[in-house]
Amino acid sequence: MNDKTELKERLRLLTVIREEALLRQRDIYPREEKVDTWPNLVVKELIALLIFTIVLVVWALVQDAPLEELANPGLTPREAKAPWYFVGLQELLVYFDPWMAGVVLPTVILVGLALVPYLDPDPIKGVGRYAIGKRKFAAFCFIFGFTMWFVLVVVGQYFRGPGWNFYLPWESLDSPKEVEVALTNFPLAAGIAFLACYYILGLGIPAVTFQNFFWRLGLIRYHITMILLMTMMLVPVKILLRQVFHIRYIVETPWFNI
Amino acid sequence: MNIFVQMWRSLFRTGVTDSPVHRVFRVVVNFILHLHPARVSKNGIKITYTFCLGGLSVLFFVMTALTGGLLMIYYTPDVDKAYANMLDLENVIPFGMFLRNLHRFAAHAMVISVSLHMLRVFLTASYKSPREFNWVIGVGLLLMTFLLSFTGYLLPWDQLSYWAVTVGTTMAENTPIVGTKGPFSVLGPEEDMRFILLGGTSIDQPTLIRFYFAHCIGLPGALVGLMALHFWRVRKAGGISRPL
Amino acid sequence: MLKPLVDDISETTVSRRRVLGGALFWASCGIVVAILGVIGGGVLRFLYPRALYEASKIFKVGSPESYKIGSVNLVTGRGVWIVREQEGFYAILAKCTHLGCQPIWYEDQQVFKCPCHGSRFHKDGVNFAGPAPRPLDRLYLSLASDGRLEVDKGKDVGLDYKLKV
Repeated sequence: MNDKTELKERLRLLTVIREEALLRQRDIYPREEKVDTWPNLVVKELIALLIFTIVLVVWALVQDAPLEELANPGLTPREAKAPWYFVGLQELLVYFDPWMAGVVLPTVILVGLALVPYLDPDPIKGVGRYAIGKRKFAAFCFIFGFTMWFVLVVVGQYFRGPGWNFYLPWESLDSPKEVEVALTNFPLAAGIAFLACYYILGLGIPAVTFQNFFWRLGLIRYHITMILLMTMMLVPVKILLRQVFHIRYIVETPWFNI
Repeated sequence: MNIFVQMWRSLFRTGVTDSPVHRVFRVVVNFILHLHPARVSKNGIKITYTFCLGGLSVLFFVMTALTGGLLMIYYTPDVDKAYANMLDLENVIPFGMFLRNLHRFAAHAMVISVSLHMLRVFLTASYKSPREFNWVIGVGLLLMTFLLSFTGYLLPWDQLSYWAVTVGTTMAENTPIVGTKGPFSVLGPEEDMRFILLGGTSIDQPTLIRFYFAHCIGLPGALVGLMALHFWRVRKAGGISRPL
Repeated sequence: MLKPLVDDISETTVSRRRVLGGALFWASCGIVVAILGVIGGGVLRFLYPRALYEASKIFKVGSPESYKIGSVNLVTGRGVWIVREQEGFYAILAKCTHLGCQPIWYEDQQVFKCPCHGSRFHKDGVNFAGPAPRPLDRLYLSLASDGRLEVDKGKDVGLDYKLKV
């Protein structure tokens, strides 16, 4: 190996080490106040552990876990609800076909969540404190999605009765509800145009309006972020189209419907 | 040395003396406490900062694991026996129902605390460098939590579990490309996604065994592995995030 | 001048060693990937048993005369309806195309209703309300040599299929 490549290699290593050092430097706080883990942290953990152990034990004593009759493949019960944490997805099944509500949307949610740290362009803003005001866009996206998930759970869990019809929590589930709403689909061309416009405008308008934002994220990051955001927004949009305009499918093809 | 004193000291090696050295030592030599650094930032351990949510998730996991392990003693993953085992737990076995309740409610609590932990980490921007990948591991942990809950739902073999799992696995059948009823399906009913889950074309004995394996061995194993990685990386990134 | 990291090794030796080392490295990578692939493929294949101990997909459901014209009969334990109309017979799979619940036949309204999410189907299995994306599956129905009707649950025939007896 000649001197030049050797030198380059050493410089490269040095840069890596320097970057690593800088990376760690962010976590080195000269004036930071430190306390002993024992007893300061350990005591708090012990208290939390005791409180929640007692709460759960009492809960388990006063309430029994549900158990219905023996499984019977030949008889569907009046209400077949998923466990509560999946009821949000089940609620989406009213608005989307199973492949969309049960497979595509959960996958998008998980992939989107995993991508969060790589989509956020700012490496330090708001770290270590609840500075929502400084990260309005990020906080909005996350809180919106988080709230929507739990709103759907609550609606599915407490406001849906037999036939997945809408019941108020205090209404009797025995009174049958026959809600006959004629649903229509968008014509194919209009549906495709609608979706195309939705995404193109959804990606285009913010790029033009908030150019700073666009350039700060960069081309790839911007597009991934906005596609994920627009897909999340598709859920309330579809709910609106369904509930207000009685639209069943935006795009209907022989192979799939959205 | 008195034999009892010797036994005691071999167990708790740090004694009761309080001094800065003892405080550090107590954390460093203890298997559970050594997950923590000996000294922590004052800001990072404020209750109003973390709300103990990560730790509580661990607590609820340990609770479900302990109660679940005990429940396994009386549970047979057999479609003819599973439901009878549930009734036995309820009526015949002392504290059987209590353990089942605790198992279920701790699982509920775990889903809630894991979700809220994720919210807390997001709002404090704690996923930012150098903690990016730990957030990804956290998303994996969230998925594992949901899958554990879902697989556990079938085991009592009652109407509730049967139809909830019917609904869940029919979604797998509707997966694009790899589900037999999904858009652009390429696989038949005996080779698609749903078949792998069910071990057949309907929810039956093979399904119960598969879910039982996933619930008791596969998923908890994966969860524990990811948890270890998660905690390790928290430490390597310099502990709980603090303001910059 | 920089001090070399490794002393006194002629240039050719180093380069040969580098080439061989590189080749070995990539070969190892290939072997690791191959092993993982074999293990993964094996585990995947392991999940597909060669035989299923399930009820046969082909079964007989009695003679055609036992069904009245216009009637819808659930074959209990099989999850199949046998419908007889003026023009002939057809068999419908009693599994909602939405999420797999078993719909219920309402004789007075002449509709199938799914209790899970309220999907509804006409007598011929065509969906007309609720979230179901497709009509109910119509199954292959034939007349066996002994004169009884035979259903094949594995075969999904189109909506036009009817068995004339």
